[in-house]
Amino acid sequence: MATSFAAAFEIVSFGAIIVLVVLGLGIIASMMGIFNFAQGEFVLLGAYVTYLASAHGVPIWAGMVAAPFVVGALGFVLEALIIRRFYAAPIVAMLGTYALGLIIRESVRGLIGGFYLTVPEPIGGSIDLGSIHISAWRFTIIVITLLVMAACYLLLARTSFGLRVRATLENPALARASGISTPLIYGATFAFGAALAGLAGALIVPVFSLFADLGIRFLIQGFVAVMVGGVGSFIGPVAGAGVIGTLSAALPWVMSPVVADVLVFVLAIAFIKFRPQGLIAGKGV
Amino acid sequence: MGGAKQALAEVSEGPDAVTGEVAPAAGEAARPAAAGWKILPIVEGLVLLVALFLPLVLQDYLTVFATRVVILALFAISFDLVWGYAGIMSFGQALFFGAAGYGVALLARDLGVTSILLILPAGALIGLTAALLLGGFLLLGRYPSSVIFVSLGTLTGSYAADRLARGWYYLGGQNGIPSIPPLSLGSIDISEGPVYYYLALGILVVIYLLCRFLVRSQFGLALAGLRENEQRIAFFGYKAQHLKAIIFAIGGTIAGLAGSLYAFHEGFVWPNMLGVVFSTQVVLYVLFGGSGTLIGAVIGTVIIEGVSFWLSDNYRDVWPIILGVLLLLVIMFRPLGLISFVLGERERVGSFGKVPKESR
Repeated sequence: MATSFAAAFEIVSFGAIIVLVVLGLGIIASMMGIFNFAQGEFVLLGAYVTYLASAHGVPIWAGMVAAPFVVGALGFVLEALIIRRFYAAPIVAMLGTYALGLIIRESVRGLIGGFYLTVPEPIGGSIDLGSIHISAWRFTIIVITLLVMAACYLLLARTSFGLRVRATLENPALARASGISTPLIYGATFAFGAALAGLAGALIVPVFSLFADLGIRFLIQGFVAVMVGGVGSFIGPVAGAGVIGTLSAALPWVMSPVVADVLVFVLAIAFIKFRPQGLIAGKGV
Repeated sequence: MGGAKQALAEVSEGPDAVTGEVAPAAGEAARPAAAGWKILPIVEGLVLLVALFLPLVLQDYLTVFATRVVILALFAISFDLVWGYAGIMSFGQALFFGAAGYGVALLARDLGVTSILLILPAGALIGLTAALLLGGFLLLGRYPSSVIFVSLGTLTGSYAADRLARGWYYLGGQNGIPSIPPLSLGSIDISEGPVYYYLALGILVVIYLLCRFLVRSQFGLALAGLRENEQRIAFFGYKAQHLKAIIFAIGGTIAGLAGSLYAFHEGFVWPNMLGVVFSTQVVLYVLFGGSGTLIGAVIGTVIIEGVSFWLSDNYRDVWPIILGVLLLLVIMFRPLGLISFVLGERERVGSFGKVPKESR
């Protein structure tokens, strides 16, 4: 009983981490049609900002609050300078964002060296439920993921900003004709997606510690999750992330980790092949 | 581009167009006006000339390095065929390169096979098989696959293979397979040095000429059309998906050939050869040099590898950053790569990489 509960907690907590990472990726892919290869590096930057805060004696939670704003601002600038040129050609966008990611990743590698730097958890210790101990920080991540998911949903579904974003996605020309500044919306959406990645990086760095390839680890998993869930909606990628995250965490409990690792990817690609629209088809929220 | 369209119109009337048979006469007739065909052969000739005499002036350790570059150039050509000519973004080209490398390494380790007459065909065959399997799955089917799906599918395939190789004890795990014996021909060992260099160069030249013939043939023109406008090619009666699968398999074969050469040259194989590292590396070579021209792929490989070798002593940390910045600049301002500085639009007819005009 205790083991299976611990296993379930592990699975849910990893699923939450993947959802958190994919949120930003999914929003950019769905709302802008860009597969952002630099997203992993935005996660890395968020983690790096948090590390800087803790290394300079600033409270870690302050670093975690600052990370999404810093990364979001950077995303806004990058969108205006670079990403904007790529909207017409999705493959070129992939390559361009890959180059961008390369620059960010190698710069961070230069700054931190080849080390694994640990960042302490702002909420340490464990929660005891009888004989079961679960990590308090991982539990916090699950809670925050749920809150962020709900907030994103409300932002896109219920606010006028969300309406503008969706209108721009649906029909850019008509949106412009209706007086929506589509370049500004694209900039804001990209910045928002980047900020979510920054937040994800800030929250997960105590779990995974900081190293230059932190982002890559999640990037491909994230893309697969977005495709499985279905590009075009907000809820699709989130659902995909839930499935992929749960599978990747659950399968190693029943089979050899190496096989499980590869099997998740094979299953995902086969699924996308036969259901290209993903789990949840359709555009919108 | 007018020349290309006209050429395509001619091709569409060819009788054996659907089978993708190479028809030299039609290819000849389909060439645009001969006026602009000057710079490309000069560039190709110069590169070949330099390559031929290089080992005479280089020290031994540099010849070894040059051999590696030649093999990587072969790998780059395989990617260029698939992306530059057919417009299929194969973000996992290293899968075929590495699979062939691992395959021939296992042949050498477990069966003691080192004869070049067996190893190279085996490598090419492994590449071909892997490409047919992956390409068949990703590209064929009732509905055409989206570009995004193909690029992410190949990338995922390569990443999954990397993870598999890392975790599988039989394949040596993280360390890969070390100390592969040298390649042999009869009782002679072909070890690294000038001999291996000329072997690799010979193969590169032969493959280059074959590819050059291929992309200038009717099949190549159909590919060019596919890349520019897949739907129109389908309306012409071509089986667009089949054309794609064929060129993908050819690309895989060449990558397999390069992978087996690389494995024996380095003397060991390791998981990076299969994975994202090599896959993205080859994309960099081709984009940098100029996709859609075979010589661009070769030049890109030489420049990137050369500069990285030159800088590796003093600026090892900064080089990847510079590489990223250069790549970004090329993508933004020179989407056709460095070769476009010397090669005019007209000579590249049948090339790819022209970014569509902003539509938003």
